[in-house]
Amino acid sequence: MEINQSKVTILGIESSCDETSASICRNGEILSNFIANQKVHEQYGGVVPELASRAHLQNIVPVIDIALQQAGVSLSSVDAIAFTQSPGLIGSLLVGSQFAKSLALSLNKPLISVHHMQAHVMANLIGVNKPSFPFLCLTVSGGHTQIVKVISTSEMQVIGETRDDAAGEAFDKSAKLLGLPYPGGPLIDKYAAEGNSKRFQFAEPQIEALDFSFSGIKTSILYFLQKETKKDPDFIKNNLSDICASIQAKIISILLKKLKKAALQTGIRELCLAGGVSANSGLRKSFQELCTNNNWKGYIPAFEYCTDNAAMIAITGYYRYISNEFSDLSVSASARAAWS
Amino acid sequence: MEFHVSFEGLNDFAAQFWEMAKDRKVFAFHGEMGAGKTTIIEALCRSKGVRDVMGSPTFSIINEYVYPENGQEKLIYHMDLYRLKDEQEIIQAGVEDCIYSNEICFIEWPEKAPHLLDDSVVHVYISLSSQEERIVKLLLPSGSLEELS
Repeated sequence: MEINQSKVTILGIESSCDETSASICRNGEILSNFIANQKVHEQYGGVVPELASRAHLQNIVPVIDIALQQAGVSLSSVDAIAFTQSPGLIGSLLVGSQFAKSLALSLNKPLISVHHMQAHVMANLIGVNKPSFPFLCLTVSGGHTQIVKVISTSEMQVIGETRDDAAGEAFDKSAKLLGLPYPGGPLIDKYAAEGNSKRFQFAEPQIEALDFSFSGIKTSILYFLQKETKKDPDFIKNNLSDICASIQAKIISILLKKLKKAALQTGIRELCLAGGVSANSGLRKSFQELCTNNNWKGYIPAFEYCTDNAAMIAITGYYRYISNEFSDLSVSASARAAWS
Repeated sequence: MEFHVSFEGLNDFAAQFWEMAKDRKVFAFHGEMGAGKTTIIEALCRSKGVRDVMGSPTFSIINEYVYPENGQEKLIYHMDLYRLKDEQEIIQAGVEDCIYSNEICFIEWPEKAPHLLDDSVVHVYISLSSQEERIVKLLLPSGSLEELS
């Protein structure tokens, strides 16, 4: 097997849930980051699947092809193949992992298995403005909410996480309770911008240490809406912006209170956001304020590296490559969330 | 069978549940958003000895946990069909594979897949009686009530 040390080119493959994505990373720089979309199906033929997880099978060849083309890189100049090994939907993970293994075997290149949640954290190492180690990362997405202590590129500890719903799910389900279409998280953010966040109060979860809980706030909102719509059937319509602003403020305060607690406990002064919910404008603003007020350094990756994407897999692959951390072909996909 | 379950009484309820459910494998959980489906399923899993981090599978669709049984690791599938559009999509996500795997399966939003659930499924209905308490109704497969009472 060839190990190249001068100019390292990594192909990253992500297929853990809804998105099929491929990315090329050369010496830590992202050259392409392509996510399957409608256009792929128009160009390469075939029916357009909506969410079907096994659509990855249809997507994977064109997606890798386009990522290579956009980067101007040939498959033969790829030095290693990195893929999402866990966690996720097993049928989806298998497509990416089997493809990556077959490709590694046929090209005689090393294989690097990547944990999806570690990759979200590593997205902070893309670009020029990077945090220095150790740093804390608050990863918030539709499926996950974690505070991770990052000691080095290969040593990370989950020091807090959700016991039930993820923060993104709390946004989406609150939106659903308000009659907004699912997933409605971004709509909450939109209406919240015009509302009064102090108008309505929701229950504060009682969770010790650095863990989170968001299922209680869902029930609290459900009760609140039932009570208010009994008095005024148009309550939601007439107060939408204030309700959204109050819900958003509550979710953000739950997240940032724990992040602040983690920073104070660990003494770490470099803080990062990651995951799809870091697109929420209210969260970005409050996170920056938290960092400024405490004289901490705050980092948020570019949006395209926050949602599920292969660039984060490729950058993780790059750091694994330079520290010689490879997987053998016996590695298998796993749906479970455990870190190691 | 009807139970009034408070947050403090979750563990006792879980113990009673497994006594009644015996060897049954597939459990469909009905109840509106915020009723407490995920919370009750978590208590049932913990009662079986699951030590994994658990959470809602709304986004991930299928979560897998392990529990010990007779010195072996056994699987529990925790599924949520909320995000899925139709039965075709549900099958493609691998839900059917789980249901027929002979492992324990908890299914949230089972209304989305009526044809995938046969007569052996235990149906659990959760409703809110107050913010602190839930009413949980258990509908065991027909013909089995006598043997279990």
